[in-house]
Amino acid sequence: MACLQPAEELEIFRRPLHSDANERVSGKGRTSQLAHSGDEELVALAQQGDRRAFEELIERHKQKAYHIAFGFARDREEAKDLSQEAFLKAFSYLKNFDGRSSFYTWFYRIVVNVCLDYKRRAKRTSAGEFDENIESEMEPSHTPSRPLAPEQHVLAGQLSRKVDAALQKLPAKQRTAFILKNNQGLSIREIADMMETAEGTVKVHLHRAVTALRLSLAELA
Amino acid sequence: MAEQNRTIPCAELEADLVLLHYGDLDDGPRAELRSHSANCAGCSAYLTELATLLPLAVASDAPAQEFWMDYNRELRHKIDAAVESKSWWQRFTAMFRPGYLPAFATAAVVVLALTITFGNGLWSGKHGVNEDELSEALPVAENLEFFRAMDVLDDLDLLEVIGGGAKDAA
Ligand SMILES: [Zn+2]
Repeated sequence: MACLQPAEELEIFRRPLHSDANERVSGKGRTSQLAHSGDEELVALAQQGDRRAFEELIERHKQKAYHIAFGFARDREEAKDLSQEAFLKAFSYLKNFDGRSSFYTWFYRIVVNVCLDYKRRAKRTSAGEFDENIESEMEPSHTPSRPLAPEQHVLAGQLSRKVDAALQKLPAKQRTAFILKNNQGLSIREIADMMETAEGTVKVHLHRAVTALRLSLAELA
Repeated sequence: MAEQNRTIPCAELEADLVLLHYGDLDDGPRAELRSHSANCAGCSAYLTELATLLPLAVASDAPAQEFWMDYNRELRHKIDAAVESKSWWQRFTAMFRPGYLPAFATAAVVVLALTITFGNGLWSGKHGVNEDELSEALPVAENLEFFRAMDVLDDLDLLEVIGGGAKDAA
């Protein structure tokens, strides 16, 4: 990826969204057609400059991208910015997507990297301030199988903040494996593909992350 | 101390118990582990603990439809801006194409001569570099840096350690 030329990559997208009258007339049919296309087909069209195809990819993946980002950031605005940044990067470098992995894997790798990069920057610049934000905004956001009593709710809030603080201390790969599994419910195979590592390695990361979290929560458990 | 009350699962099964909790074990090992856990207080309590604690780590959010409309609009603007920014970059790089090089070199010589003739102070202050244009170029450099980093997820832990973040080794 070292020889990228972003200027050229974006050239294909300079055409206006509705560049000719015929396309305007058949807009609805086109949208429907795109909605039934596979990701790879959309990628191929987008690589040829079809911005609508890229917008269909956004439509298809924005919720998941957002929720992954929310797992890392735990803040709505941050998650929005991070997932949008991932789409922008995908947009800029789509031409370099060679189809060796699926678009799904390629794109969510971008999402994860954007999130990790953001966490790294946040740690470096204002660790204290960042933790404070989390403290103030964190609520027990899980959906328990049974409604919690008020005192349980307080305990859940404490645990949730504890979990978050513990998550921040995890090495990037453990944190990534844990968030993708615990928040997103991705399979070990999917996580391994995204992290470009072996399934066994993901299992090790996941186990270590769970162990570390469990120890962090020992006094509240 | 709380540590004394910890649930102690069979050490060699702990990693598999995590996978069992997440439903990530194949049929055979799953049945085997379930059967073991039914008769092992430590493993059984560990599974219960995971089922209690791990859902608390889930950060979920369900924004309203309005949020997604804003999301689409914002993202479309960002993409438009990226295309525009690229257009500026393209014009800039076009200056360095072979056909333009003689003209560019001539202009550079003239600028250099003027600078030497009229002294250093002339180009400072309000005649300085346009900061807006510079800031437009920066994201491009950042993107290149990011995609180089994409190939080295393995280095992230190292970067975190360098950044003073992680204490634990992966
Ligand atoms: Zn056991």
